[in-house]
Amino acid sequence: MGWRKTFRVLHRDIGYFIAALTLAYCISGIAVNHIEDWNPNYRFSQKEVDIGPLPGGTYLQMQQYVVSALNIDASMVKGHFMETETQFRVFLENTEEVIVDIRSGKGLYKQVENRALLYKINALHLNNIKGVWTWVADAFAVLLIFLTITGVFIMSGKKGLSGRGKWFLAAGFTVPLVFSWYIIA
Amino acid sequence: MSRKYTLTFLILSGLFISLSAFGKDAGTGERTYGAGVEEIESVSISDIAADPEAFDGKTVRVEGMVTDVCSKRGCWIEMAGNAPGEKARFKVKDGEMVFPMSAKGKSAVAQGKVVAQKLSLEETRELEAHYAEEAGREFDPESITEGKTVFRIQGTGAVISD
Repeated sequence: MGWRKTFRVLHRDIGYFIAALTLAYCISGIAVNHIEDWNPNYRFSQKEVDIGPLPGGTYLQMQQYVVSALNIDASMVKGHFMETETQFRVFLENTEEVIVDIRSGKGLYKQVENRALLYKINALHLNNIKGVWTWVADAFAVLLIFLTITGVFIMSGKKGLSGRGKWFLAAGFTVPLVFSWYIIA
Repeated sequence: MSRKYTLTFLILSGLFISLSAFGKDAGTGERTYGAGVEEIESVSISDIAADPEAFDGKTVRVEGMVTDVCSKRGCWIEMAGNAPGEKARFKVKDGEMVFPMSAKGKSAVAQGKVVAQKLSLEETRELEAHYAEEAGREFDPESITEGKTVFRIQGTGAVISD
């Protein structure tokens, strides 16, 4: 088997192998590129609550009052905190939280949900999890480099690198070069 | 040839899967970030808040409940002190450690260097407004009436547990 055929076979099969992760990285790339405009990991929601003025006493008693007034299962409670002299926060499981004004009892029930697929693929793409995934991501990157190089040499003749391929290759180089030259100081 | 080739690919796939699975949290309810923390005595967040300049440049270990997390990049957490509103911001370089929103309400032990900074009234309001925006909180500039010395802990590691 000649080198070009070997490249073609490897390019095809490695392409199949890394298709899923390539797609995941691309989707995550678009999502985090626009992080200033939206939150690519979480979805936030909140509803107003009004439970009346909180009784005096200890913070624990205030927490118990909030939990009871909102019919929250006590096992959901993680802790509490006085944000200011009047704003009392109760932290719950599942990244939920109640924040109320102790004088009026008015406040918010806040919920945070992970974006089902994006949260996971962003964590992989940005290597939030570190550890062994670093090596997996490195191996994936090496395969992508291999795929790119074999892709350049896979075709021969007019459609190959010696034909129109070299112009497409040059055009592809031009985009990052122009941006890096004129935009990046 | 074909069978050997398929076998190679299966081994490669298996390697990826096992490497990925190896990195999974053991489910201890405790997660270490960055370099973790050393076995040194913890300093009270209240003590640092009372006199940030006295701790400026010092490496400290602090403990407290996580009250807020950077929702976009996970690059900081705030930990509760003892008094109302008393918090320490534990900041890390983007991507070095990434804290999940689910850390809110959990216990954290964190270590890093204290960075104290004296701010004017205007700067204090701007900073608090920025913090409130990041945390998704309401903020009233009039609630800040004077400039103050603020501090953050430039983090090297943390352990967060349920």
